[in-house]
Amino acid sequence: MKRAVFWSGFVIILALIVWGMIVALNKPVKPIVPKLGTPAPVTAADHVSTASDTPVTLVEYSDFQCPACESYYPLVTRLLSEASTTVRLVYRHFPLNDIRPDGTVLHPNALAAAEASEAAAKQGKFWEMYNLLFDKHPEWTELPDPRPVFEKYAADLGLDAARFKADIDAVETKNLVLSEKQEGSSLGINATPTFFVNDKAIANPQSYEEFKSIIETAASTSTP
Amino acid sequence: MKNLNQLLRQPLQPVPLSLAIFVLALALIGFADATYLTVEHYRNVIPPCSVVSGCEQVLTSAYSTIAGLPVSLIGAIYYFSVLLGAAAYLESRKTFFLKWALLLSILGFLASLWFVYLQVFVIHSLCAYCLGSAVTSTVLGVTALVVFSKKGRSQQLNDEAD
Repeated sequence: MKRAVFWSGFVIILALIVWGMIVALNKPVKPIVPKLGTPAPVTAADHVSTASDTPVTLVEYSDFQCPACESYYPLVTRLLSEASTTVRLVYRHFPLNDIRPDGTVLHPNALAAAEASEAAAKQGKFWEMYNLLFDKHPEWTELPDPRPVFEKYAADLGLDAARFKADIDAVETKNLVLSEKQEGSSLGINATPTFFVNDKAIANPQSYEEFKSIIETAASTSTP
Repeated sequence: MKNLNQLLRQPLQPVPLSLAIFVLALALIGFADATYLTVEHYRNVIPPCSVVSGCEQVLTSAYSTIAGLPVSLIGAIYYFSVLLGAAAYLESRKTFFLKWALLLSILGFLASLWFVYLQVFVIHSLCAYCLGSAVTSTVLGVTALVVFSKKGRSQQLNDEAD
């Protein structure tokens, strides 16, 4: 009898702990919408997922090396395929190549990856490179020098190797990436990914359903 | 090797009840902490990468899972086993249970050292609850080492007396 009471107590206490954690963590938290400026208008220089006009424009400031951006990549991809007539994606660079207090770089391969995507863009394959960089994230993010991997991706995409290398090295490519980051910083962005739906910053959705509903709401309220 | 064999085969000397309660309490804290991290892991929240605070990527890094299982879940199972051992000892007073709980604690302590190393030198990012677990498992591991070393010494004295 005493034994039964002891073990019942034991199980109840542990069950309470587990239940308490689940309840506490599953409380919906009010998302904090970051107070940010309005992103620069979409121009021909931007990378836009579709040429067609859509009621919703999703602007993403992103870093190819960022694990959170990688986590959002399948969500955004699904969104673009399921709501292709509603939403288009504009991808802008925000590489977190900043230096930490201990002297190490936050994402040391982020700038190189952004440059690789721009070099691919020069040959009309930005989105193909974008897909490869996110799909094969673990292949290059931790490398001391990711360049050979990017060159392999370029070869896989059938790009002109010499031109790709020259474009990666071009100062203009680096300046282009950094100017987009500069523009993002001027809006107040300090984290990736940061999304804007029809020029308004949104709190990062925590599920695909939430993301889709934000897009649908924006589509229903957007003026044609 | 001989010592390890001895440690595994020989029964634990009787230990004060307070020590078993101490182990139980620590394992309970560790269990709650690891459960929190496990629930957090399965909630699938994606923390953004920030210029200021890095990626908070401890819980999302490649090191956060082993063979698909979150490290925090393995931690919760570990603390649960220690808890079970300490509780079984308190209930039955059979030192066998406590001995295995303490042996497990040493493994937990070593695992914690590894995870703290990963956070500091590889991921370059610390996570408060992970460090909390490192503290509880370190105290548990040190307690186990102290108990075993005392036991070793008393064993030596017994051997000498024989």
